[in-house]
Amino acid sequence: MLTQSLLIFLLAILGYLNSFFGSSMISRPIVMGMLVGLVLGDLTTGIKVGASLELVWLGAMAIGASNPPDMVSGSIIGTSYVIVTHSSIATAVALAVPISMLMQMLWNLLMIVWVPLLAAKADKYANEANYRGIDRMHYIAVFSQAILLAGLTSAGFFLGSKAIQSFVNIIPSFVNSGLNYAMGIIPAIGFALLVRMIVNKKTACFLFLGFLLVAYLKLSVLGITAFACVLTAILLFNTGHSSSNNQVQEVIDDNEF
Amino acid sequence: MIMNSNSEKLTKKEIRQVFWRSCQLDSSWNFERQQNLGYSYAMVPVIKRLFKNDSRKAKAALKRSLDFMAITPQLSSLLMGINAAMEEENANNPEFDDSAITAVKTSLMGPLAGIGDSLIVGTLRIIATGVAIGFASKGNIIGPILFLLLYNVPGFLLRYYGLNFGYKYGAYFITNAEKTGIMDKVTYAASVVGLTAIGGMIASYVQLDLSGIKIGSGKFAEPLTKYLDMIMPGLVPLAVFGIMYWLIGKKIKTSNLLLGSVFVCIFISFLVSLF
Repeated sequence: MLTQSLLIFLLAILGYLNSFFGSSMISRPIVMGMLVGLVLGDLTTGIKVGASLELVWLGAMAIGASNPPDMVSGSIIGTSYVIVTHSSIATAVALAVPISMLMQMLWNLLMIVWVPLLAAKADKYANEANYRGIDRMHYIAVFSQAILLAGLTSAGFFLGSKAIQSFVNIIPSFVNSGLNYAMGIIPAIGFALLVRMIVNKKTACFLFLGFLLVAYLKLSVLGITAFACVLTAILLFNTGHSSSNNQVQEVIDDNEF
Repeated sequence: MIMNSNSEKLTKKEIRQVFWRSCQLDSSWNFERQQNLGYSYAMVPVIKRLFKNDSRKAKAALKRSLDFMAITPQLSSLLMGINAAMEEENANNPEFDDSAITAVKTSLMGPLAGIGDSLIVGTLRIIATGVAIGFASKGNIIGPILFLLLYNVPGFLLRYYGLNFGYKYGAYFITNAEKTGIMDKVTYAASVVGLTAIGGMIASYVQLDLSGIKIGSGKFAEPLTKYLDMIMPGLVPLAVFGIMYWLIGKKIKTSNLLLGSVFVCIFISFLVSLF
């Protein structure tokens, strides 16, 4: 248990350092779930739970000043609980959602109070042309947050299993089946957020195209993405030269036909 | 531009350092000036090299780098490249008005963040997820690996070439790209692919099992889903999506929507359990 907690700690550090490693999405549940599975010796379950949590948090992304729930702690504790106690995936959602929200509050507090303090110190170093000082403030901000948050996550894993188990045991079965329903409809929130972000009158029809291709023809998402790429090429290269960057070319084309 | 004998020039080494340092942009994010500390950290090698003989300009450049910054991480290096090119001119040209640097930074970060957030964090990620999740939900390790590759290969290529491009062509390229409409075309192409993928994912991954509800009585009872499927397969997921889309338009916070969905589902399941 102690070794596992240590491994979970290292894993959480990796997750919290996502934006240290090129914002490469290693903090997403689909990746964290796999790594938890690897550490706890049940890779398949880890990946499956990760996939379910990924769908729940599909719309969760950092944009501007709005921070998504902390997926690292939620994914790790949710996935590890399911693996350790062999419970249903719905339990992972029941645990992960509140944990991630609580941890995000703490993290926000750090980013409201602690990091601006360091940034203010960096301002001072800028006035002294002290390059190393600025580097140091950045590193302190990065690692202090990661270590604190990862420490809490692994402590939750270490101390939590029993406490969580007794809590989960008193959950009535209708709550569990309700969570199963919720897991099915929550991805729609993520899709709706994304669509709101990129849709306009000209492109709305493609949403329905994708939907119909899957609903009627049962194509895979990979398949429709491939179709969509070809379709985009057709739309861009074979029609409407109006916005083409070469006026002369256009005139020649017109003469040919 | 007057080239002094002691002209300061950036080398490949600093550009490489900016590349690696740009990977940490979001890791010291804060609510006051967002990515300012990370951005400054990334610009340190450039400023250190260019202004090693001019501490007054070095201080001004460092302070500038600590201004408010909000940009998509994968596109940040493009701005850093432009910024580096301008600082280089600032170091060599005594006539250079350094307020232009701040002006270019603030005017470019908004549009770049807008394009980057919707194309990379939104569309590219959702396509990567859509392709990967089919494997992952069956417990196949190809899922997570595919997700990371599909998202990061384009992400890091953009980061790498963006930096070199920005440094080479400066701010001119972006304004030019906006004029010729290349940006519009890229955005259009990405939204077509992104929306098609999302449409497909709505049909595959939004589920509401209504098979418990039956229409009719006795031996003529048929599950409601059968009738709904006759109208159109996937009608329920589409309706659920429509409701969520409408609710988000009503400016309801996502976290409330998420908790609300959970409570509504538990409540319905409680009602069902009574019968």
